[in-house]
Amino acid sequence: MLEAIGAGLAALLTPQAILFMFIGVVYGLVIGILPGLGGVVAMALLLPFTYGFEKAATLALLLGAHIATIWGDSVTSILFSVPGSAKGLALCFDGYPMTKQGQAKRALAASATGALMGGIIGAVFLALCIPLIRPVILALGPSEYLMMALWGLTVIATFSEGSLMKGLIASLLGVLAAFIGTDVVTATPRFTFGSEFLMDGISFPVAMIGLFAVSEMMKLAIKGTPIVDRSLVKEVSTVWQGVMDAVRHWWLVVRSSLLGLWIGVLPGVGASVAGLAAYAQAVQTSKTPERFGKGAVEGVIAPDATMGANEGGGLMPTLAFGIPGGESMAILLVAFIGLGVVPGPDMLTKNLDLVFSMVWIIVIANIVVTIIGLAICPALARLPTLHANLMVPIVLSVCFVGAYATRSRIEDVVVAAVFGVLGYVMDKYRYSRANFVIGMVLAVMIERNLHISLTLYGKDFLLQRPIALAMLAFVLFTAALPFFRTWRRNRRKALAT
Amino acid sequence: MSRRAQDNLVAAVLLALFAGVIWLCQDFGPRARMIPLPLAIFGLILTAIQIVWQNVGSTDELRMDMIEVPAPDSAGAQSGPVAATRPAAQRGASWREEARALGIVAVLLALVLLLGPILAVFLFTRHYSLRAGVIYTAVFTAATYLLFFVALEIQPYHGILAPLFAQ
Repeated sequence: MLEAIGAGLAALLTPQAILFMFIGVVYGLVIGILPGLGGVVAMALLLPFTYGFEKAATLALLLGAHIATIWGDSVTSILFSVPGSAKGLALCFDGYPMTKQGQAKRALAASATGALMGGIIGAVFLALCIPLIRPVILALGPSEYLMMALWGLTVIATFSEGSLMKGLIASLLGVLAAFIGTDVVTATPRFTFGSEFLMDGISFPVAMIGLFAVSEMMKLAIKGTPIVDRSLVKEVSTVWQGVMDAVRHWWLVVRSSLLGLWIGVLPGVGASVAGLAAYAQAVQTSKTPERFGKGAVEGVIAPDATMGANEGGGLMPTLAFGIPGGESMAILLVAFIGLGVVPGPDMLTKNLDLVFSMVWIIVIANIVVTIIGLAICPALARLPTLHANLMVPIVLSVCFVGAYATRSRIEDVVVAAVFGVLGYVMDKYRYSRANFVIGMVLAVMIERNLHISLTLYGKDFLLQRPIALAMLAFVLFTAALPFFRTWRRNRRKALAT
Repeated sequence: MSRRAQDNLVAAVLLALFAGVIWLCQDFGPRARMIPLPLAIFGLILTAIQIVWQNVGSTDELRMDMIEVPAPDSAGAQSGPVAATRPAAQRGASWREEARALGIVAVLLALVLLLGPILAVFLFTRHYSLRAGVIYTAVFTAATYLLFFVALEIQPYHGILAPLFAQ
């Protein structure tokens, strides 16, 4: 095994691999910052250029770009509350308030360092767990995935802005929005009104662009001043503060990374769920949860650490079984075919050096992204000081081009604008936009796995799947925990007075 | 329009939306409506309760809710993750300011549909001189074009008016 670890690293020390890694990282950072485009687009666009090169160099290019998009996504979420993709959503909640408080450098640095630490933890666990994870994945079926999705719904209370009723209504709206299009189980067109465009459903990145980016720009146009007015709010933080924040909260990073790794291992769950779950976990385990949403640095570190580790987790089922953990891993599988590599048990015997090359790529790419990120933090932190009259047209234009670029359909631009107005109204009347997105993310997963569970095991599927039953108990416990804590706290207060 | 009336209007639209979903679900098969139908009914009930609730309490209580999320601090409505991101200016935004913001999005959307995404950029730089605005427009348009349509090879859309220009 040690030999394979060494061989994996040696394969990355060729000039071609080093150059490809650097190109991939810089390209990934740019793509990540653009709204609507994420790791999937980054890898898909690179794929045609990967044939005929060394295996390790090709993977360095693809994985390097993919990893760099994670931090690229975080940048716009922190600076403008504009998530580059669904993954970056959780960064808006505390990253953006930090920017407005003059702590953009600290938030960006904490985000980059959190992603680095998460990435390394994810890579190390990937290396250690590959032989052990097979029985775990095979033990989980659709009923267990259904419980995972239901667990995701328990974060709704966290994002409800003090109004659980409106939070629930918002998440129901999100669920129903996700059902627009052809039903994946019965092939029934639902809520399409005969529109060919709606048959494909509402594109998730486009909805995100509208709900957050367009509506935030509407708010900025109303405000008429920069996001951060330097005459009122000085930049009071440093890059070093952010780095130390991530190091100081090492236990949060470890917990979030393991969560990200676990979600990455489960095929089809995705990093967008991981970021939100990490944020909820950080709030639920914090001794001072009231600071979240107002610029708590832990709210930036946890999602980034999770998303960093998620990549390592996503590689596990891809390499060990040929089951892609997400869309980007599916593209990696296509690259494997081009390289003549067959994923499956053979990867752990005949191609172990290639597996360790990928582990090294995750580590090195994360380090390179962090170095570049920390170097450009001070320059990026100045962007929110641009005047609204400059910022609004730039960001709106990029958002509309990004919405169009998602599927090359002009109708998506209209959808982004409609969701923008919807996002503004929801924000104004306190129907949580985050809950809408959570509902949208989890709806299809819940419906698909419920249908499969009912078909496979019948109506009493929970009784036939003890793991799912145990997970349901855990879901109920997690949902009840915040209510119990509040009750206990109020009781203590009452006893004290 | 008072805050209560606005809240009622939004809730009424939501009520109609959930009712519409329930009505549309009647055309689907049992499996296709298995999830959307109960959720829409649940949404309808929740919205109806919300309407009743927001008309029972005082206007100040519109920031609160019948089922208040258990938050450790007493700030209640202000203690959510998104609450802090709401600018103070927005809370007091006049309908004129809101109409202007909506107008910016609508005009930009119309321009994108008519001329394509590239030409429809940067038309609101009141803050800068004409020369600076033109320079910014040119640089930004070129950068967007090169990035999306040359480097990323995304099929460009030229707008509804493109055939007229072609003739």
